[in-house]
Amino acid sequence: MQTVGTATATPTPAGVNGGAAIRLEGVEKVYRTDRIETVALSDVNLEVGEGEWVAIMGPSGCGKSTLLNLMGLLDVPSKGTLSFSGREVTGLGDRERSRYRNREIGFVFQTFHLIPELSVLDNVEIPLLYRRVSSAERKTLALAALDRVGLQSRVHHYPSQLSGGQQQRVAIARAIVGRPRLLLADEPTGNLDSQMGEDIMAIIEGLNRDDRTTVVMVTHDARLAARAHRTLRIFDGRQVQ
Amino acid sequence: MLKSHLKLAFKVLGRRPFFTFLSLVGITLTLLVLTVVAAVFDHAFARHAPEVRQDRTLLVFFLELRGERASSSGWPGYLFLDRHARGLPGVERFSASTQIESAFSYSGTDRVRSFLKRTDVEFWRIMAFDFVEGGPYTEEDVEAARAVAVINVSTRDRFFGTGAAAGKTLELGGTRYQVVGVVRDVPFLRLVPFADVWVPLTTARSDGWKRDLRGGFMGVLLAGSRADFPRIQSEFRSRMATVDLAGTEFKTARAEAEPLFATFARILLRTGPNQGGFVAKLSLILGGLAFAFMVLPTLNLVNLSVSRALERASEIGVRRAFGASRAELVGQFVLENVTLTLMGGLGALVATEVALRALNASGLIPYADLHLNLRIFGWGLLFALAFGVVSGAWPAWRLSRLHPVEALRGGTR
Repeated sequence: MQTVGTATATPTPAGVNGGAAIRLEGVEKVYRTDRIETVALSDVNLEVGEGEWVAIMGPSGCGKSTLLNLMGLLDVPSKGTLSFSGREVTGLGDRERSRYRNREIGFVFQTFHLIPELSVLDNVEIPLLYRRVSSAERKTLALAALDRVGLQSRVHHYPSQLSGGQQQRVAIARAIVGRPRLLLADEPTGNLDSQMGEDIMAIIEGLNRDDRTTVVMVTHDARLAARAHRTLRIFDGRQVQ
Repeated sequence: MLKSHLKLAFKVLGRRPFFTFLSLVGITLTLLVLTVVAAVFDHAFARHAPEVRQDRTLLVFFLELRGERASSSGWPGYLFLDRHARGLPGVERFSASTQIESAFSYSGTDRVRSFLKRTDVEFWRIMAFDFVEGGPYTEEDVEAARAVAVINVSTRDRFFGTGAAAGKTLELGGTRYQVVGVVRDVPFLRLVPFADVWVPLTTARSDGWKRDLRGGFMGVLLAGSRADFPRIQSEFRSRMATVDLAGTEFKTARAEAEPLFATFARILLRTGPNQGGFVAKLSLILGGLAFAFMVLPTLNLVNLSVSRALERASEIGVRRAFGASRAELVGQFVLENVTLTLMGGLGALVATEVALRALNASGLIPYADLHLNLRIFGWGLLFALAFGVVSGAWPAWRLSRLHPVEALRGGTR
């Protein structure tokens, strides 16, 4: 991160399917406290195409996760605009943003963030709860998502009964159960050993290839980033490549 | 969604059993006290036998006479009731009866006190007493001033054992009455019908009561329907101008015909006739007291809820990320709190039944017959629900304001 400063970057090419899934224009994110103003992102201009897989790389604290949070509508930019499939979403209210997240975006976190009191099946059903999907349909869709990640035999287990890799697979099932067009993954293999990490990457790869799900993935690992269609590098809150 | 939230609510409660237990004890005790108080109020004011027509009954409990130098206020007298409360349009039946008085009997060297009430015949027609023997005294009994009495079961048991009492005599306050009927005990808290022994008005030693404007009587007016109340009340008020105060030091008379709770509110708040707003005031005071009583346990529950929920910051972040709006999160956390308070409420209802039985057995309220009924059950659930919503709303709102990104980090921005 840096203290106040600006930089201009070049917009990226359109996606593999032609249209832009996400477009960020002149995005800036500034955190203000009483005394300090910290610029986390500065003048980011970025376009991710439909069905594209973009990796975001950069050193710790450079603003990668902030960028991902802005794309996921979990945070709002201090300046600039954000569009999804041509529709500007920067000024949406809480309810609209929530609906957008629910229908369009799936999240995979480094630390899984499964709810320990809920079974695997109940965890995966969470996004569907906010779509008012019937109980029977929720179950069907959740089982299908778990089948997709190879965990249908663990539906009644609790997160604490699973390995790290299995937990991340549950998290992916949760992210894709609502068939989002955009998957945001924040260091999805960061807490896993290499074999488990490879399993997770294979699933993400499959989602992008087979379902044409747009993927934006933050990673520190250049080998993983190399599997994406392109890599975006961030340094001190600025887009450098 | 409701099922899923409920399932989670129970699991979260099971996560810290000791805290859950403490919360439940606090909730149960609070609701127990409130429900017992509600039961006592229900016992005193709700429609119970013999006051089964209470919903269309108006009472005249109070008369105020004012002059330039003197004033007199309190129970009305028979003369006032007879002249001004009788024959009001819209009134089906009118009864005048006395307040209860103590009457003593002697059994050997023991002095036994009974509560005695003098009534007319209409009293028995307005009230629906449950006779276990005989029946009420008649018009002829009252006109002839016959020394007959209706007694309650406890008085029968005290004087005659458990055998039949009808036809037997009983000496009270120096008069020997023949028992014509035995009724089930009426609780002490029922202001209008309560007594141990009921005798005709005319059996009083002197007939001075017939000439008093003020003192010792209550009027009971049975309206054709509740819709007649305004007409009756208005006519009764207008009759105040016709009260003959000649020869007295008073210039004006004021009285009101009101339902039981309004009458109680007026007496309790010492509100004079023609002054309004006292029912709302008493309701507000009672509601305020109930709220004040709930404040400490509520704060305690709020604290427990907040600390319990802050442990779930990550869950809040996940739910926000996957589409929960703030309103949905508030709903979820309030639901969890309401689940807890409803569990406490059910515990409180069981404890209330035990407490009411103990209260009945203690004799603290003579002839109390307090029980859980549907109304009390409803009140208990309402208290629990209010408790749950009040104590859950603030933590829920606070948690819903957690920034999703910070929540996912387990923080509290």
